Amino acid sequence: MAMRDLVTGAPSCGEPSSSSNPLGALANALIGSSSKTQERLKEIPTSVSTSSNGNFLAGVEEPLATLPGSEFEHPLQPNIQGSQFLQGFRSADQNRLADAWDEIQRPQLPFAHGSQNMTNIPLEHARLQPDLNGPPQQVLSSFLHSFVNSSHGGVPFRPASLPLLGLSEGDKQCIRDRSSIMARHFFADKSEDFINGQVNALLSSLEIDSHARARGPVPGRYPELEEYWNESLAMKPALHVADGWINEFSQNRVGHADPNSWVQSFEQQHGANGWASEFEHEQSQLGMIGQMRGANIPNLAAMEQTRMLAHTLAQNSDPKFQLSRGPQGWVNEFSAEREQHGSVNNDWVNEFSKLNVNDDWADEFGRQVAEGAFGETSADGWAEAYDEYMNEQAALRQQSDASRGVYVFSDLNPYVGHPNPLKEGQELFRKGLLSEAVLALEAEVLKNPENAEGWRLLGIAHAENDDDQQAIAAMMRAQEADPANLEVLLSLGVSHTNELEQQAALKYLYSWLRHHPKYGSIAPQDQPVSFYHADVARLFTDASQMAPDDADVHIVLGVLYNLSREYDKAIESFKTALKLKPRDYSLWNKLGATQANSVQSADAILAYQQALDIKPNYVRAWANMGISYANQGMYEDSIRYYVRALAMNPKADNAWQYLRISLSCASRNDMLEACDARNLDVLQKEFPL
Amino acid sequence: MPVFKTPFNGYSVRFSPFYESQLAVATAQNFGILGNGRVHILQVNPNGPISELAAFDTADGIYDVCWSEAHDSLVIAASGDGSVKLYDLSLPPTNNPIRSFKEHTREVHSVDYNMVRKDSFLSASWDDTVKLWTVDRNASVRTFKEHAYCVYSAAWNPRHADIFASASGDCTTRIWDVREPGSTMILPAHEFEILTCDWNKYDDCIIATASVDKSIKVWDVRNYRVPIAVLNGHGYAVRKVRFSPHRASAMVSCSYDMTVCMWDYMVEDALIGRYDHHTEFAVGVDMSVLVEGLLASTGWDELVYVWQHGMDPRAA
Repeated sequence: MAMRDLVTGAPSCGEPSSSSNPLGALANALIGSSSKTQERLKEIPTSVSTSSNGNFLAGVEEPLATLPGSEFEHPLQPNIQGSQFLQGFRSADQNRLADAWDEIQRPQLPFAHGSQNMTNIPLEHARLQPDLNGPPQQVLSSFLHSFVNSSHGGVPFRPASLPLLGLSEGDKQCIRDRSSIMARHFFADKSEDFINGQVNALLSSLEIDSHARARGPVPGRYPELEEYWNESLAMKPALHVADGWINEFSQNRVGHADPNSWVQSFEQQHGANGWASEFEHEQSQLGMIGQMRGANIPNLAAMEQTRMLAHTLAQNSDPKFQLSRGPQGWVNEFSAEREQHGSVNNDWVNEFSKLNVNDDWADEFGRQVAEGAFGETSADGWAEAYDEYMNEQAALRQQSDASRGVYVFSDLNPYVGHPNPLKEGQELFRKGLLSEAVLALEAEVLKNPENAEGWRLLGIAHAENDDDQQAIAAMMRAQEADPANLEVLLSLGVSHTNELEQQAALKYLYSWLRHHPKYGSIAPQDQPVSFYHADVARLFTDASQMAPDDADVHIVLGVLYNLSREYDKAIESFKTALKLKPRDYSLWNKLGATQANSVQSADAILAYQQALDIKPNYVRAWANMGISYANQGMYEDSIRYYVRALAMNPKADNAWQYLRISLSCASRNDMLEACDARNLDVLQKEFPL
Repeated sequence: MPVFKTPFNGYSVRFSPFYESQLAVATAQNFGILGNGRVHILQVNPNGPISELAAFDTADGIYDVCWSEAHDSLVIAASGDGSVKLYDLSLPPTNNPIRSFKEHTREVHSVDYNMVRKDSFLSASWDDTVKLWTVDRNASVRTFKEHAYCVYSAAWNPRHADIFASASGDCTTRIWDVREPGSTMILPAHEFEILTCDWNKYDDCIIATASVDKSIKVWDVRNYRVPIAVLNGHGYAVRKVRFSPHRASAMVSCSYDMTVCMWDYMVEDALIGRYDHHTEFAVGVDMSVLVEGLLASTGWDELVYVWQHGMDPRAA
């Protein structure tokens, strides 16, 4: 759909060429000829050289494989001025405002500011250009103006990087709350996700924490249900539930039932965890309401929840749960207990694998019983449940194979139509806005399905966002697009080891070797039919001797040794790699995880600390720290780390699980409610680091 | 037809019940998201431009304004910072506001003055409550807390001194009696947020609600299961609806589709007028009690129009 159509489509938007429709005027100005837009696209540097500007790892012209692993990001400058920004407003200087207003009314053509610094990205697309120059009040005005305007044309609002506006906390809260309430009015016929996307775009541009949103979507659409709520306190499964598991899942959430208490605690929390209630609410909505705004929502939310639950399970170190794709209530509960006992860290689990279930679980079980790590869950119940699980697993394995490799795109992607979504995605990635980055990258690959880099980054983003299935699917597409891309092959190898698919993993790692310009010669020309772990390991060892300075080879070796549980060798390999790449935070994490796996939790913590020194907001490492402490029985400490991790990423469901377990182990049942309610404020106050 | 340009985005207009040429306008900066606010008192001169009698600046946006029915110079404003402010036009600006009632914990979205007993007024807030106040008391008389989400609007019944209705984002409209502890009726009027409600000035049992779902529904509270009429025609959420004080079944509405529409729900083709003079969301509309057919509207395009029904608001 051409921009012009969008702009001129709605008759109520007024004359397209009139100055009162800035969007139309801008469209006229910009979309004179389509060739102009294309030229602009060409100007955009390719992905390799984008990593300039000195924000990446010192000195090394590493390809964007390091995008996830940049140096730590500086926290937002604390707002020293406080409400100095608003003081500008409050002076009620009418003249200035009138001037500002005039400037806004005249549509700004996109300016090529040049990327002198990363915070001032030129908006090179046809949209009412917010004026990013000028005093903060003006900037904010025009920015909000464009947000409101985005509702007219139906063109989604895009986040932009704004210079520091000096907004106080109160201001931010105002913006956050009001814009989300208002957005629900403008975009009523769009999905919840779209609305959230729009508001997030606004908030992220203004660097406002969008996690703590005050008002989520509306509770109780149906009066019958409202009455029902008013009568009963607990939501019974008798309510027509869309999916049985959702029901069970929501049952696990305490205090979820009574809408009044929900609303009250919601109100109290006000500024925190609004989104979490939103999420809980979505679950309840699904249960109750057959059809909300559209068929999309229940499916999307159900999918989302399925995925999240599956990931919670996947995160569980216990190898048994790696494969399970079907969310099952008991498995969830069960894994929650299991996780505490000898659970290893997530990142590791993502990039690594686990042991061969069938043979070794008995050993591990025995080991852990010996270690006395078991808590309340009786060994009997566990074993029984496990048998059930094994039966399921076989069935699921077939299903999972079929569904593997199919990438699922998000609905209503606000970045579709963006002239350079790849760059946008890279930026967002660099900033740590993973979900946004995913959307932008999806837009990129929708546009250019052959863009291996886009797919690759998408895969990494999903992995960091704890979405294994999508990560693999994306990586597969990347590999199709570019079969010789080394990073892709490596990622695929790692992901498949994660999935316990040794053969596939070995195949990819082998391909990595084959396609590598330096080591291609080591690997025999004809690809063997089946891969033996020992063979591949030997090949890589040869390679490492050939080029002792290549960190990647050592990394792969570390991965391989983890596969075969030769942890000491794995640790050695990682340490070697770390000597070569001491600033690779994920590598430290890997090391820590291997150490934790081999029951050297104290060392593991040191390694995680290194990772965190490099990237302080590395959520995974925080969570892993928590796990390591928990493994050593230091529950109070572990709680603090989980809370810290969750404060950074309240969406880390597995971390919530771990937290809950630690809370019960530490006999802090008083905080369980706060945990279930995802009340980070309370938790942070209670458990500061 | 005269036009007035406000420096901030318009939010609400109200005709004075005492002077046919006076108009109060509520405005907020940056669409009410962040910034200051201003209450304008305008004078509509016949055959001339609109002039400003007074203007009061506030720290946060003003979302609604209403006139006192008892004193011709009192104006009540609903502010985004949760306060309800009282202004006296007979006093100089330095003495104003004469009161600032700060009890709501969230933005106050609407105020309405009791036109029967003329002694009290309501404020509806995003903190899910409606509060009842009298001018002389510093604290609210009552708080009505039942809605589960933002209350966007509260409207007194024009015939019964104690009855009022509230419209909320929890998709219900509630009818209340101030003498009763809780709401007397819950009207699940729409499946989306209800932004406004208003009573019929001639039939005390008829109420109109309008919602984010772009429709306006007219209900008889005696039979609340099925609406009397469903008025479709707006392209976006309907922001405000007002029954005509002169014609029993006529009402005016304004919407985010930038139009102001006139409806008659007793007629087959209910839409009897449409004005698209605004170039941004039309958020405030009112019909004059004193002059038949006189309409005023305001929108986020910062313009206030006053015109006679049937004429073009933009005509000179």
